[in-house]
This record gives sequence, structure tokens and C-alpha cells, in this order.
Amino acid sequence: MTLAEFFSCSLLAFGPPVAMFAMTIARNPVRIIIMIAAAFFWLLSFLLSSLVWYIVVPLRSYLAFGMVFAVAFQECFRYFIYLLLRKTEAGLKEISDNHEISSHKLEMAYVSGLGFGIMSGAFALVNVLADSVGPGTLGLQSGTEFFFVTSAAMTLCMILLNTFWSVIFFNGMDEKNYKKILWVIGSHFLVSSLSLLNRNEYYFLTILPAYIVLLITALTAFKCAGGYIGVVVNTCFTKAQ
Amino acid sequence: MKYRSNIFTITFITVIHALHCERLHNQIYSSIDGSAACFRRLNGTHQMGCSSSDNGSVGVVHMIKEISDAQWLISNSSAGPYVAVVSTSLFNNIIDLLIAEPNHVAGVLLYDNSTTRPTAFSHESKCPNEYSAGPGSTCSSQDSNVWNSKGTGLLRRDIPFPIFFVPDSKVDEIDKIEKCYNRYNLDKNNQIGKPLCSLQLSSFMYAAVNTAVCLRRSASSAFLTPTKVCDPLGDYNVYYSLFPRSQENNGEKKTVTLVTARIDSASMFDGVAPGAASSVVGMVTLIVTASTLAQMIPLADAKLYDHNILWTLFNGESFDYIGSQRTAYDISRGQWPPLSPLSLSDIKLHLEIGQLGGSLPLYKENSSWPLYAFAPYGSVLPTEITEFLAEMSQAVSSKNMSLEPVITTNLPPSSLHSFRRIFKNITDNASLPELLLVDHRETFTNMYYESALDLYENIDFVYRNISIGTDGKFIPTTELLANGNMTESDPQVKISRIASALAQTLYQQVTGKPYVGSIDEMLYCLLRSQGCRLLSAADYMSNTDDATVGKPAPLYVGVATWSSTPAVYAGHLLALLTGTHLDINRTACDALNVPGFSNYYLRGWNHSGVCVQTTMNFSQAVSPAFIKTDYDFTSNEFSTWTESVWQGMWVRVFVTAGGGGARLACITGAVATVLAALITYWLQANANIIFPALSTVPLVGDAAPAPILRSVNC
Repeated sequence: MTLAEFFSCSLLAFGPPVAMFAMTIARNPVRIIIMIAAAFFWLLSFLLSSLVWYIVVPLRSYLAFGMVFAVAFQECFRYFIYLLLRKTEAGLKEISDNHEISSHKLEMAYVSGLGFGIMSGAFALVNVLADSVGPGTLGLQSGTEFFFVTSAAMTLCMILLNTFWSVIFFNGMDEKNYKKILWVIGSHFLVSSLSLLNRNEYYFLTILPAYIVLLITALTAFKCAGGYIGVVVNTCFTKAQ
Repeated sequence: MKYRSNIFTITFITVIHALHCERLHNQIYSSIDGSAACFRRLNGTHQMGCSSSDNGSVGVVHMIKEISDAQWLISNSSAGPYVAVVSTSLFNNIIDLLIAEPNHVAGVLLYDNSTTRPTAFSHESKCPNEYSAGPGSTCSSQDSNVWNSKGTGLLRRDIPFPIFFVPDSKVDEIDKIEKCYNRYNLDKNNQIGKPLCSLQLSSFMYAAVNTAVCLRRSASSAFLTPTKVCDPLGDYNVYYSLFPRSQENNGEKKTVTLVTARIDSASMFDGVAPGAASSVVGMVTLIVTASTLAQMIPLADAKLYDHNILWTLFNGESFDYIGSQRTAYDISRGQWPPLSPLSLSDIKLHLEIGQLGGSLPLYKENSSWPLYAFAPYGSVLPTEITEFLAEMSQAVSSKNMSLEPVITTNLPPSSLHSFRRIFKNITDNASLPELLLVDHRETFTNMYYESALDLYENIDFVYRNISIGTDGKFIPTTELLANGNMTESDPQVKISRIASALAQTLYQQVTGKPYVGSIDEMLYCLLRSQGCRLLSAADYMSNTDDATVGKPAPLYVGVATWSSTPAVYAGHLLALLTGTHLDINRTACDALNVPGFSNYYLRGWNHSGVCVQTTMNFSQAVSPAFIKTDYDFTSNEFSTWTESVWQGMWVRVFVTAGGGGARLACITGAVATVLAALITYWLQANANIIFPALSTVPLVGDAAPAPILRSVNC
């Protein structure tokens, strides 16, 4: 049962991002470079937050403290990617064989957000996945065997959120619309704080609000990218005919 | 919905712990500490004992409270394999069932509960060391007339699954398992697809088949790295002579009385071999008798006597008499002891102090303790034997005990068998008089022979802690009896009386009385706590790490490549209690070189160090089978026991998943992935329609750098 658990959880957490990667990014080398660069930026932010955690010895045992710094650093580095990409966009376009790149202004935001998210997801889940190989599962002291699936679902949520947050954030920076940036930072703090409840086994209290936030964020990102629901409905309608 | 409600109920039932930053691994697994594994031993023809699978055998916990639980496990269980958790009181009843049908059995966890001990518990065969018995032995495992009538012989069987033993002191580990079991496994007919409490037993053994094969495998090397899969059993024998023997000239060699006992015991489990009645009482009797004689006869008087006493403690006797076989073999080669070897004609009498103590609980109400002296002769007894028996029975009967001679060639298991096999011609014509002192007659009175339960309770021992001060002075027995600190029915007093009678018999000139205090302390050391005063006084001064307090010394012989503690303990006790204490410092002690003596710098009673000059010495107890070249391991001439090598032994308890989580993850994962793929495809395909607003706006207009970079083709 345990190997099944390992592969199922991997599928749940990384299946959708990998599908998105395969269909939108994999064909374009420049997009891959940007995605990897974003993943690297996430690593840097994580390095800094872990340094802070390491230096401040008395607060080490408080998860909330480390979390606040991790979120702050991640948002900082999201801003750095934004700066970097906006500065290099022209050059990237120039070196690319394929001039389709940057045909949409927020394409880079999507790509870098996915890189950001996949790396954060990998770090969040890899320890859990290692233990899911078994032979045991949670339940001896606390928790249930559903811990692994909830962790995977939460990781998926964070990956997608990071993708959409980047889209909103870039758009907000471009438009100087600080409400959008505030939403990104605020919802990031909100979802991360919710995950603190995991410790007390309120898995559903974490997951349901997190997915609600994901839905709102996704719709916002869709709008930021210029999408229009009416068009969607219209397209569907047209197709149906 | 089913899953969700399930989660909610469990979530709210569970007590909420505020676990800060605890590793997930520690929440999943809990190791069962203090457990001892059954391991694999091999002899010339077979492998015996247990081994788990390579990564540890995993099985669902099943607590066995009645025999019917075991029957259910082998016939009706569905979610197997299972690990049977069983107490010592039921173990012997169910183990044969499980071995006969091992398909559903991943392993057995045996636990000891001191309140419900079985009346008999011995996994030695019915005729211990049957195949190394001397001529005239009639004990056969198939017969009803056997020595160890309660023996199951499990120690000599190949068990197809691992067995672990949890001692009484670790009963909270069993509580942990039972709690988990009660939470998950109680609905035993409905276990498939549910989360279940499980155990993983890991004790993988590298050796297999038999000694010849495993030694061959050990000798070969894979990719130039030597691998070892088994080690020969063995350790050291301890010997000590009343007078130094090497000072004797060949012309005036003193005759010798050889007094022997055994050091080691055994059990199925690693590190558990208490052997209270199996070996400790006999060994203590020997040491106390030796120290009594040493106190009464000053070394300076050695020249006045034309007789010497050689005390020898054999090691490895549980496994086809390793120690005594080696000694007898070395005597036959003229190589034992290494300094001034003994010849058979020097030995006037060989007295073995055999298994004592098993009948002590039977006579705990009064001061009697009937002993039996087995003499392996027909009708005519050698004069040495008759004299000894007469003197000895007189000495013990004055103390309300009895000694009854048993004249039979069917001897109980003892080192005499080795001498009778190797010196067959000499023992047959009775030119080597032999006698065996035990406290049983037809069958063992010790119901826990060589088992994990042969503990201090088995000889009814209660530590009085009255024996010694820091100066090492023992209070005399008579005084202790007079002031009521001891009673005549105490095992300590009885053993001291035997030792006294023995000392008296061995040297009629000597009327020494052993101090019962030393017995009290020595039994405490060997049966209760290795950290006792006597052993720490007898320890090397240079040894700084303290022995394990509160744990009896495991008396298993161990492997020859590692020296184990029992022989060292016995040797140092002999040295401390019989040797001359010299008042010199360490360097002077090490520099001292008196022929016939060796010097040990021990801690002494006040831990300030004392130089002990003694004739005590160690000799190898490794079977001749391993030192003879081209020995045929199937010839059954000598002991061929080896012990498998293993990497680690551990047990852990955890909950195995019922599969609900995996199914949920699989379904949601597949749905999410397909959904994401569809949405992405659709958005991409219709990107121009859905995101019309910005698609046409040129992002980087004229600000593009010069196309020089075009040559860089990424």
C-alpha cells in the first residue's frame, strides 16, 4: 500500500504543475530558463529565511516566527524576479529564435510563478514523501493515514497559488495597482497561517479555506491577464454549436 | 463522504498534542526498546534459531491471550501476515502451532510478565548436549527418561520467523503495543482495508546452512572486501590453583584434585542468559570454596602439602561442552595449563560442581537441601570416590543437608562427558576418578534450564545487602544467623554450607568457614546488578566506565573473536578473593614478575587500587574443531557451534495504512491532473480570444537593443 501512497501523492501534488509545464513551457527553451531562474530565486529566499531562523536561536521552536520570515522573503524575491525580468525582457526576446515569446505581457509572470511554486512545493513535500514510502503511516500517536493526501493537496494548492500570485503581482507592479500586491502578500500570509493548524490535525480547516483562496486568486489572475468570463462562456457556447 | 466523515471523527477523537517541530518519522514509528532478538546459530550439520527478512519482517499485531487466538491466526486470519504478541506463560503452547503453519506469521514478540510466569520454561533439548555425551549415557530425546523433561528443544530448531523477547522491566513497551492494538485491531474479522497496528521485527542473519558452509563463505571475499558471516563460539576458561604449580620440579610433582564448574548459560535471545540455577550457583559455590581454602592455607605453607587443588571454570559448556572439550583436548596434547602442563596421572580426583540451585525453592521452608553425587561407575567405586563421599556426606549432614550417591554411568550433562569421551580408555578403567555434584536426581529440578527466565527468583534469592563494608571485610555467617539477618533456609546460607563442607572435604586439615556475605554479594552481582561493590572492586583499576547497574550479567559464551564479561568476572572474583593483596603502586605491580603468579592491578574495596598476586589465569575456550586443520565438521567429534553475524536488531510499532489515503490521493491526483491539462489546453488554444486585451500591445517597442545578440543562439 505504501508505494501506492508515494506515487499517488506525487501525482496529486505534481501532476497538474507538470501537465502545465509540459503543455506551455517545455517547448520553449527561454521559458525553461526563466522558470529555472525563478526556482533558483525561491531557493535563495529560502536560504535567507533559514539563515534568519538559524540566527535567532530563542525563537527556533516557534513555527510561526519562521513562517513570517519565509513569506516575507518569498515576496521580496518575487519582486526581484519582476525587476530582473522587466530589465532582461528585451534581451530575452532578442536572443530567442521564437519571437512569440512575450507576445503576452504576463506570460513571463506565469512562467516564473510556476517555477517559484514547483520549487516551494518540492521542498514542502519531499520530506513527507520520503516517509510515505512506509511501511508505516500516521496514527500511532496522532493523525490519520489521510495526512499524506492532505499534505499533497496542500502542496498542489501552494504551487498553483504561487503561479497565480506571480501573475497578479507582476500585473499589479505594471499597473502600480498596490491593492493587487496587497492581496498577494495578504493571502500568502493567510494561507501559510492556516497551515499552522495542520499540527493540530485540522486538515480540512486548512484545505477548504486554502482552496477558496486559490479560487479567488485564480479568478483575479485570470482578470489581470485580461481574461473575460463572458468570452469564456461565449467560446464554450460557440464550440457547443 | 465516507472518507470525510471518517477523518472528522478520528480528528476529533484524537487528543490534540502541541508537537513543536517534531519530525514526521518520530510520529509514525515508535521503537520497542530493550527487546532482545532470537538469532541464528549453526553447528556441523544444521542451522538453528531465527532470522527476519532482509529489511525486517512486517506483520499486523495480534495479541494472543488464549490458545484459540493462535488458532484463529493460523486458520481464519485475513489481513496477514501477523506478528503474534504472546506472554511467556502461553508461548510454549502456541509456538508449535505457529511453526507448523508459518504462512500467516511474520514473527513473534514474546514478553515476560513477572506476575504470570509459566511453571516451566526451557528451550534447551530434553537431553542437553545429547550428541556430545560420554559413553554410558542413556538419555535420548525420544525417551521419556530424560534430564530436562520440560525442555522444548526450540533452541535447537530452525524457526522460520523472527522472535523477539521483551523482559519484565520493559513492560511499558508492551502497553504501548496493546494500546495501539486496542485502537485499531480489535475488530478482527473485519481487518482488510483498515488501518492496522503493526510491528516490524528486524534481525536479519547473514549465515546459513551450517558451520562448514558459513566458514567457507566467510573465507571467500567478494570484490576484494573480506566478508564474514559467522564466528565460532568461544571465550576463556578460568583456572586457579591453590598453590603455584610452575614452581614444582618434575621430580616432586604434586597430585591434583580438579574441581570444575561452568560459567556460561544460554537462551534463545541475544544478551539474555541469566542462568541462575543453570550455572551461577555452581560457579559461586566453586569460587567461595576456593576463597575459603585460600584464606585458611597460607601460600607459604605450600611446601608442607603434597597435594594441590586446581579450580577450573569452563566456558561455553551449553554448546557441546566447548570449554571442557578444549581443556581435555589440550591435556591430551600435554598443553594445559600452558605453564607446567597437567598429565592425567596427576589428577587424583575430578570433581564437577554441576547444576545447583534448581531445588532451592522446593526447600525454602527449612534448612535442608538434598544433594546428589553422581559417580559413573558400575559396582566397584574407586577408593578416592568412596573416601570423598564419606567425608562429604558427614560434613553436610551435620548441617541438616544430605548427600546421596547415585552410581550410574548415565551422567547428567556436565564437563565430565568431555573427559569421558576424549579419555575413553582411562575413564573406563576408573583410573581417573570422577564425581558430579548436583541437586537433582532423575530429572532437573530447575524448570527454567538455560532460559531467559532462569532469574534470581528461580533460586529464591533475596539480596540482604549486609555483607561487606568498604574495607571488604565480610561478617561471619554465625554472627548473621545469630542476629537474625539471615535464616537457615536462605539460599545464601545453604550455599555457604555446601561450600564449607566441600572445602572441609577437600582439605581435611582445613576447617574454614566461608563467609555467607560473600555469597550474598556474589549472587547479587551475577544475578541482579553488574554494578555491585564486589565486581567493581574486582574490576581493573584502569577500567573507568561503569558497568550496567541493575542488569544481570548475560552469561552467554559469545563468540571467540570478542571476549565477553562472564569469564573476566569469574576470574577477577577468584583473584580478588583468593590472591595475595600487595601494597604496592601500579607501576611496581606491573613490573612484578614472580614465576607461577600473575599480577592484576584491581580497584580494590575502597577503589584506590590494589595489586593482587594470584595463580589465576585464563585459557582459551575455543572448540578444537576450529584449531585442528582439516577438521571434518560432520564428524561430531568436537563442538562445531558458530553464531551468525547480523547488522542490527530492532523492533518498531506503527500503524499501516488501510489504503484509503492512497486511493483518495490517486483519484484526486488523476482528476486534478486531467483537469489541469484540459484547462491549460483550452486556454492555450483559445488564448487569442480569451485574452484579447493585451495580446496585441507591443511589449518592447523600439527599446530593443541592437540585434548583435542574434548571433548568440540559445
